[in-house]
Amino acid sequence: MNPQGRLQPDQAQADKPQTGGEHVSGSPMLADGKASGLFAEYVESLLNIERVKSILHSAGSIEVGCTPSETLYETRAYRLLHYRQMVSKTAKTPILVIYALINKSYILDLQPDKSWIRSLLSQGFDVYLVDWKAPSSADKYVSFDDYVNCYIDDCVDIVRKKNKVDKVTLHGYCMGATMSVMYTTLHEEKVRNLATIAPVMDAEKDTTVIGNLARHMDVDKMLQSVGNLPSEQLYMCYSVLKPFKQGLNKYINLVQNCSNEQFVENFVRIEKWLYDTPPIAGETFRQWIRDIYQQNLLVKNEMKLGNETIDLTKITVPVLNIIAEEDHLVSPQCSAPLNDMVSSADKRLMRFHTGHVGLIASSYSQNNVLPKVGQWLKTRSQ
Amino acid sequence: MSKQNDKELQDVEIEGMPQSISQEQLFAKMMDFWLEAAKLPTIGPLYAFSKDASSSTQELFNLGKTLLESKANADQYWVLINSAFAKAYKQTLENSPKKFSSKQDFETYRKVMIEAFEQTFTELFDSKEFAIVYGKLFSNQLDILKSLQGMAERSVKVLNLPTRSEVDEILRDIHDLKKSVRDLKGRLEEVNARNESTGQIAT
Repeated sequence: MNPQGRLQPDQAQADKPQTGGEHVSGSPMLADGKASGLFAEYVESLLNIERVKSILHSAGSIEVGCTPSETLYETRAYRLLHYRQMVSKTAKTPILVIYALINKSYILDLQPDKSWIRSLLSQGFDVYLVDWKAPSSADKYVSFDDYVNCYIDDCVDIVRKKNKVDKVTLHGYCMGATMSVMYTTLHEEKVRNLATIAPVMDAEKDTTVIGNLARHMDVDKMLQSVGNLPSEQLYMCYSVLKPFKQGLNKYINLVQNCSNEQFVENFVRIEKWLYDTPPIAGETFRQWIRDIYQQNLLVKNEMKLGNETIDLTKITVPVLNIIAEEDHLVSPQCSAPLNDMVSSADKRLMRFHTGHVGLIASSYSQNNVLPKVGQWLKTRSQ
Repeated sequence: MSKQNDKELQDVEIEGMPQSISQEQLFAKMMDFWLEAAKLPTIGPLYAFSKDASSSTQELFNLGKTLLESKANADQYWVLINSAFAKAYKQTLENSPKKFSSKQDFETYRKVMIEAFEQTFTELFDSKEFAIVYGKLFSNQLDILKSLQGMAERSVKVLNLPTRSEVDEILRDIHDLKKSVRDLKGRLEEVNARNESTGQIAT
């Protein structure tokens, strides 16, 4: 067995029951001792299930987020990572990547051949990442105001100081993209470009199951009685998204492909990320559901962070909005309106035929999405 | 026999209560009655005891009512899930192979089943009806939790320990204080920077 707990093909072969010679009473064996086709398939499946159990048992130890980086700054709420240059720097403006508050940021650097971060580095960008830490119960009242006006603002200042530049490119994913938009409306003087991936903008147009459930959730009561949104509640949300194709079928596919090392490694990495779910700060979650999903305040330009109102029309910097046509977490109809709301003269909407995670961590994104994103950013980062 | 008993129970006419009342509503009404009956005078030497006792009783009855509501909503939830399951199962039977003689037949069955269940359950989770029922059930769970927390807090008070709500108040205060400190630090830095630049100009 290898370190990941997987059986080697020859070992698996050795573990197969010997069918020659011995006749098993009551089983569909032929008289010459050879198993019939279906029975052999059944035995093979049982063996594969055993292998998969062992694979899943040791899945947590698989390596993710391998691109070398240094922690530039660390607080209780986040780590600011600076990635080591891979090629000589060709873009003057650094990129600050803002990850979402759901799951962990290593999805952007899942494995070397499917790493969003690595691709940006190889295209000559200087890349920083805000890696959010799990909030504790003491962080119940941490809100978007804290995330945007304190944490992100501090990170932007650190990056500007480190690179001796006035402005950075803000590059957010999912909830992080929405926070990047909020930040840009309030601190545009520090932002050169805004590049968003699947931002939640017009929640009224969101056609996903999550949007549907969010509209009928009593979040005020949740904040009072539970505090932070627990991981279990997020697992429940995941379980209603493609419940059979992704919830059940993926495991059947794993059983069928458990001898394919590459398939297994890809599966285990995504699976590790999927269930590596920290809680979400209670007040932040309340604003997310009540202000954005239930009252749709963001596109009405009525959402408030502290005493300030988020007015999307204040955004005049170049905007790149990247969306996935088959996104079942943030529907494209929900993300696309950003381009109509901002006042920027230079704005671009890129649509790709993939899903929410496929957009950032797949071979498709490496070959089709990142070259175009890099090109757009490069021409605006000199 | 039990069916006959049920019928007899349904036929019993309670004064001032409509006959078509549901079991949950009946329990809720009973609880309201006992809650009213358990009220004690709120003046005089027994004031403190009366205040404590009535709030405990109130909480207990509220918990009972929430549990009943939760049961009704859980029933609705399972009705929706079961009917989706039945629909998906029917679709699977209609479209799956009639004979299973090869591996291909099993594969086809799996694909048909996954497709039918996926489509039916996604339709269900996407429906407003499901979202409302789920929202109500979630809200009931939170209410139950809140009631239990209230009861636990009373016990903690007896031990003279800080309660959850008191700690919560402190957390909010700390959060606000942190913000104020950050704002003050920012302003101080601005003032210092302005003073420095003025000093440079002056020299």
